[in-house]
Amino acid sequence: MPNDAKHEVTVFYADNRFERMARRQGGVAREQALENAQAHIEELKSDFAEWLNQEMQELRNALSQLEGHPGDMPYLDRAYQSCAHLHDVGATMGFELVTFVANNLCEILDAMKIGAPYDKDAIDCHVDALMLAKTEPYRHVSPDQVPEMTSGLRRVGELVSIVPADDNK
Amino acid sequence: MKNPTVNLRDLVILVADPNAYARRITNGILRGFGANKVLEVEQTLSLFQVLSGQKIDILLCDTRLPPHGGLMLTRTIRRNSNNENRTIPILLMSSDTGESTIKNARDAGANIVVAKPMSPKSLYDRLAWIAFNPRPFIDTATYFGPDRRFKIEGYPGGVGRRKGDKQVEVAEEVGPGLAQDDIDNLFSAARKGQPDA
Repeated sequence: MPNDAKHEVTVFYADNRFERMARRQGGVAREQALENAQAHIEELKSDFAEWLNQEMQELRNALSQLEGHPGDMPYLDRAYQSCAHLHDVGATMGFELVTFVANNLCEILDAMKIGAPYDKDAIDCHVDALMLAKTEPYRHVSPDQVPEMTSGLRRVGELVSIVPADDNK
Repeated sequence: MKNPTVNLRDLVILVADPNAYARRITNGILRGFGANKVLEVEQTLSLFQVLSGQKIDILLCDTRLPPHGGLMLTRTIRRNSNNENRTIPILLMSSDTGESTIKNARDAGANIVVAKPMSPKSLYDRLAWIAFNPRPFIDTATYFGPDRRFKIEGYPGGVGRRKGDKQVEVAEEVGPGLAQDDIDNLFSAARKGQPDA
C-alpha cells in the first residue's frame, strides 16, 4: 500500500460472493445446522482420547526440552504451540478442564517468553493437572466445579508470571 | 432478522489452522452447517498456493498460522492490490483473546474474530453476521479492509451477558482474555462514531 499522504479515502462495496450465496434460500436452518455440527463433533470424539494422549506426550516432550534450555525461544514456542493445541479443542470436545489448565499454562509460557523466570514446579503442577483433567472422573467436569484446583492454578500462574524489572533500562 | 439461515452450499471455504485436529473439528462443523467445499491448509505458504489457484469465498484463519500468524496474513491479503481475493471475508480464530490482539485483528482488516475453543453456535452466528450485515470496504493510506465503524444490532442467536474480566494479569501488556461478547464489542467499538470507544 502506498505511503502517500495524498492517498484518497475510498469507500466502496465489494462484490462479495459469500454474502450473496450465503443468503440464498435453501440453507440448513440454524437449529438443524447446530445439531448436525454437534453430531459431527460427536463422531470425532471416538478418536479424541487417542489424539489427546499423543498431544499430551508431545507437550511433555516439549517441556522436557524446555527444561534443558529454559528461556530459549524455539523450545518455548514448541511447548506453547502444543499447549495451545490442547486449549483450542478441549472444550469443543467436552473437556473444559483441559482447556482451562492448558490456557493457564499457555499464559505462564507466554510470560516466560517476555522474561518471567522458568519455574519447573509451576509447569509440573500444570502437567499433573492436565493428566488429571483427561481422566474419566474429570473429563466432563467444568472449571467451576473444581474451584480449589482452578483458583490454585490461577494463583500459581500469577506468582510465576511476574516479569522482573529490567535494571538496564 | 432473528435467526437467519446461512446457506453454505457450493461456497468455497478455506480453513487455515496449524492444528490438524482443530481443522477436522472446524471442517466437521462447517459440513454440519451444509458446506460441501471446505479446503484445509496448515500454513501460510500452502494458503497462498490455494489462493493463487482458485477463488475463495471465505477464509477462516487461526491467528497462530505459521510462520508469521494470521494477523500478518490478513494484512498481506488486504494490502495486495493485485490479489483478487483481497476483499474476501476473513474470520480469524484466536485462542489469544487479549484486547490488543482483538484490536490488532480488527485493524489488520479481519471481518470478525471468533474465540477458540469454538462452539458450533459461536461460529454459525458469526458467519450469519458476516452474511447478513454487509459492510463497505475502506481504502486509505494506512488501512484497507471492512469499515471498522459499524454497529452490531445483535447476533442472530442473541448475545449473552458480558463476563467480567479475569483477575490474572500476565506480564506487562497482555492483559486479561476477553469473552466472545467483549470481542464482538471491540469490533463494534465505533458504534458511536469513535474508533475505540
